[in-house]
Amino acid sequence: MNAIEMSNDGYLLLLHSNEWWKDLERQELEKYVAQSSAWLEQLMASGKVKGGQALARSGVIVSGKSGRNVTDGPFAESKEVVGGYLLLNVETLDEAIAIAKTTPGLEHGRSIEVRPLTNVCPSEARLEELKREEQLATA
Amino acid sequence: MNAQNKNEYLFLFRGNEWSKHLSPEEMQKVASQWMAWFERLSEEGKVIGGSPLDGEGKVVSGKNGRTISDGPFAESKEAVGGYFLLRVNSMDEAVAIARQCPGLPYGAKVEVRHIVDQCPLSGEPVPNIHIETALA
Repeated sequence: MNAIEMSNDGYLLLLHSNEWWKDLERQELEKYVAQSSAWLEQLMASGKVKGGQALARSGVIVSGKSGRNVTDGPFAESKEVVGGYLLLNVETLDEAIAIAKTTPGLEHGRSIEVRPLTNVCPSEARLEELKREEQLATA
Repeated sequence: MNAQNKNEYLFLFRGNEWSKHLSPEEMQKVASQWMAWFERLSEEGKVIGGSPLDGEGKVVSGKNGRTISDGPFAESKEAVGGYFLLRVNSMDEAVAIARQCPGLPYGAKVEVRHIVDQCPLSGEPVPNIHIETALA
């Protein structure tokens, strides 16, 4: 089987967006946009970012057998939505958290999810757990 | 200018609960199917990246990120368990691919989002940073 190498080192930041800036006056909005751009450029220059993009506001959620349910998401379901992501190539959770703390807009109620990438599929990890439990039970 | 003219889409695989009720055999089956799905998409040249996410993690919030909390990642219908970043031609195509997710019959959900190359706030171009994927 050809092993596909996924980017398994590093951390994913999911930048939740609550659109707190929606009713800002133009001048204030420009200020925030400039602040965000500067932050991103600084991050890129630091060499700690290996990926990052903004997401369109619209989107869908696919669920159900054969994905038969396709509903408008995610703002239809939640006030806080993932507005963008960053992939960091830092080595520790603490470093990833330190970067997350610098995200503009935190003071306005947005949150940043910090997740380690793993090369163990969650269901496989669960499988290993079950196997261990079985072994203990029959020991 | 159309902000959504990039042909890149992000899948966020949502829900952790669904795999907890599977037998080891079912789990194995789903895991293999998932890997095969990803490989097939890679062979078709549609994969830019992807990874499972560790169940550990934190949520940073508050001014200067002063609040660090454990996420509800372990047991949540909405927790993100992994992502794919794909290159396809339309949302319809992205959705058609999402419908192939092997976790769907068990309750997993796939959030499908279009990448933009324009800031939704200002209309200015945004940096689009690409990860490198190594294909064996």
